[in-house]
Amino acid sequence: MRSFNMVRTKIFTFSLIAFFVLLILSTFNLEVLQGKKYRELSNLNSIRLLPKEGARGRIIDRQGNILVDNKLSYDVMILPEYYNNQKNILKTVSRIIGVDEEDLRASFKKNLTSASLPVKIADDVDIKKAIALEEVKLDLAGIIIESSPKRYYPYSRLASHAIGYLGEIDHWRLRKLADYGYKRKDIVGFGGIEEKYDYYLREEDGGSSIEVDNRGRMVRILGFKPPQKGKDIESTLDLRLQKIAEEKINGRTGSVVIIDPQSGEILAMANFPDFNPALFRDKRSSAISNLFDDADAPLLNRATGGVYPPGSIFKLVVASAALETGRLDLSRRFFCSGSLVVGRKKFKCWNDHGSQDIISAIANSCNVFFYNIGLLAGPKKIYDYALKFGLSKKSSSDLPYEAGGFIPSPLWRKFYKFRKWYAGDTANMSIGQGEVLATPLQIARIMAIFANGGRLVTPYIVKAIDGRSIVRYQRKIKNLSLKKMTLDAIGEGLRRVVSDPEGTANVLSSLPIAVAGKTGTAQAPPGTAHGWFVGFFPFEEPKYVICVFLERGGHGYSSAVLAKEIIQEMIAKELI
Amino acid sequence: MRDSFLVILIISILIASLGVLTIYSSTHQKEGEFWKTIYQRQILWVILGLVLFLGFSHLSYRRLWDWTYFLYGVSIFLLCLVIALGVARLGAQRWLKIVWFQIQPSEFAKLIMVVFLARYFSRKSVDDISLLSTKFGIFRGLILPFLFVAIPAVLIVEQPHLGSAVLLFLIFISFLYLTGVKLRYIVILFLIAVLVLPVVWGALHGYQKERLLVFMNPNIDPLGAGYTIIHSKIAIGSGGLFGKGWLSGTQSQLRFLPEAHTDFIFAAFAEEWGFLGSCILLVLYSLLIRQAIVIAQRTRDHFGKLLAFGIGLMLTLQIFVNMAMNLGMVPVVGLPLPLMSYGGSSMLITFISLGILVSIDRRRSVF
Repeated sequence: MRSFNMVRTKIFTFSLIAFFVLLILSTFNLEVLQGKKYRELSNLNSIRLLPKEGARGRIIDRQGNILVDNKLSYDVMILPEYYNNQKNILKTVSRIIGVDEEDLRASFKKNLTSASLPVKIADDVDIKKAIALEEVKLDLAGIIIESSPKRYYPYSRLASHAIGYLGEIDHWRLRKLADYGYKRKDIVGFGGIEEKYDYYLREEDGGSSIEVDNRGRMVRILGFKPPQKGKDIESTLDLRLQKIAEEKINGRTGSVVIIDPQSGEILAMANFPDFNPALFRDKRSSAISNLFDDADAPLLNRATGGVYPPGSIFKLVVASAALETGRLDLSRRFFCSGSLVVGRKKFKCWNDHGSQDIISAIANSCNVFFYNIGLLAGPKKIYDYALKFGLSKKSSSDLPYEAGGFIPSPLWRKFYKFRKWYAGDTANMSIGQGEVLATPLQIARIMAIFANGGRLVTPYIVKAIDGRSIVRYQRKIKNLSLKKMTLDAIGEGLRRVVSDPEGTANVLSSLPIAVAGKTGTAQAPPGTAHGWFVGFFPFEEPKYVICVFLERGGHGYSSAVLAKEIIQEMIAKELI
Repeated sequence: MRDSFLVILIISILIASLGVLTIYSSTHQKEGEFWKTIYQRQILWVILGLVLFLGFSHLSYRRLWDWTYFLYGVSIFLLCLVIALGVARLGAQRWLKIVWFQIQPSEFAKLIMVVFLARYFSRKSVDDISLLSTKFGIFRGLILPFLFVAIPAVLIVEQPHLGSAVLLFLIFISFLYLTGVKLRYIVILFLIAVLVLPVVWGALHGYQKERLLVFMNPNIDPLGAGYTIIHSKIAIGSGGLFGKGWLSGTQSQLRFLPEAHTDFIFAAFAEEWGFLGSCILLVLYSLLIRQAIVIAQRTRDHFGKLLAFGIGLMLTLQIFVNMAMNLGMVPVVGLPLPLMSYGGSSMLITFISLGILVSIDRRRSVF
């Protein structure tokens, strides 16, 4: 007699076995098939990164003075578990650092990420307050004072345009730089050396990876990577020159550029209005938006990014073109009666200079003479020489956001404006008016050609990275192979600008050293004219080229006066 | 006979040792006297369990036949006692404090119910070996035993301990099936169960409803009720093929995994021992169950046979439900893993059950 239903017993037994098979399959699925995914999830659960900021590279001048440094800034952090336990912790911190308790609470809530990681409640606390907090720590656990390097500008606004400022990376830069390891929220340079050499200056953040438990408390440190300091950048700027230039231009919109005519090194680059790069440390500051909104464009580096009609300075290009092409010789004279009729229009000179040769015409900046030789040389040649002298294109200096300026030509006129080029346009162009535009740095570069014997230098502002000279790559000097006659004649003219009693920059003749140069007054209707002075000194052995540009500064004379003051100060400080 | 004793002894000691190792690993980083000595206490429970195993394997299981109703009464009494003056832990009142340790009467009740059902569906007479149940009508075949099961089940649900109650119900249905109760009765029972489901849902505690909902989708509440399932799956999955090694499991040791020494000990084990370790553990368990089945098959006494099947079934269901909830296959119900999870009641009851199995095998030649 069958006591048990055999089928049911078998099914029963099999279902027990099936349970185990099901368990094995499920374990296999989770551990082997999906193991990788869960391994990552488990690391995500238990590993946290605590970043430690490194210090950005410093920027120093040619003598080794530190222009931009880092200073430890003290951040106040508290541990969340103590925040909950000790009611008076915020009150105490608030009392010591003088920040409203509610503000601290707000930033605590904003920055809280994990129950164990310290939360920053105040940054950039004064060192005295930080020490005071350290003392309180004995009674009130949970306060952490963390020091992190912050950009520090010992000379405040000095060379702010050449240096640039720091800020959080924007979308545009991030897209460009993501391949170089830049990440969201990175602090990067904006403008000037800070931006151009950001890759070198940039610190490499270190940090430790720690293992935490379910409540986020640290269990142990898995690894620590010390932060790497960024590389120091040695600039060609001379702190002493830069200081003098900034003192003198202060209050007058414009730009002063001093370069070494032999190498192209930028020794000083001062612009006004300027800005204080330290403002950008606090990104919420209303001062920043004021800077961006200011109609005077204080963030604009006028020396490289501002384009202006060069006025009479451009006559040097015209003279070179006429002399080099052989259409003008030194004995050729033109008579200035105060104006010249070209086509149907009368072109004025600012005086009636009488009979002028090339040298006296430069000294007196006689417009009529240059109308004549401009027509002689022709617009195409003038255009060619302007380009040869580095106009109408970026000077390829190592400063970002350089403007190229502009030189018109008959071809351009025809192609883009559908208009004919008239002789009157040539006349206008010959005195650097009309559509001619250049930056102060380009103008200084042209003057360097006559200071160094016909070589076009490429300006640069950084000479060494991390103590290693990069001058080799920076110094790009092109011999324009100008005739000695041209150089001598224009050089003599430039000297006479200062030395002649009638010369337009005679005001500089009182200086104990011989200066050569050229003034320029660029009409820029409807406002006041721009004033230019560009020159080199000492004349016999040129060491400096100085370009003073005053936006809406009136006559070139005022620029010459400013240049004189600067040179005077340089002599007084025994820099020459 | 002797070999079944040895096989069961060796396998259960192996599994219990793995349990002790895992308990040590998942608690050794915790502070406090309780956690420092927890593995020692588990070893004590294992030794005590082995003593009971030896005792029960020499005790004639037929005595259970005589004591069935008495034991049933005792278990009901204990369950009532739990409700009256039990110790609440983890939001449930499942423990009875006896001098210095706490026992969990629901564990005890499960075994008693297996004994009770085995007796109910078999006959004392040695000569008449036909089963009663084939002759049972709907009242004696279904309603009466159901009432007997329902009393402790309701008391257990009251604690609340849904897992054990569901387990009782599953054991009951399996018994009906195994003992040849007419299929249509079982179907009727299922239909009734389906019909009362909405009522049961309404009667469920908030946390129980939550667990069921979270089981459907753990991510609806990743920090609350879904936390356990998510972290248990992460712990098991991150073990991979070979595991992270003993004492190196991050999820269990860093306390991401709650209850890593009790209900979720399988997850802690799988994290450190990997798929290979899990396979070995499952093989050990299946060998244990195989012993139960083999013993049941070669026993000719109905009571013994049913009892052996019942014990095998009870163990299998507990193992399955526990591991499946670790793997995220079934909702989280508080059921320990036999022989592995920390806890005296479960350990002792499991060893007693195994002792009874050996005892059945020992006596089979008598008949």
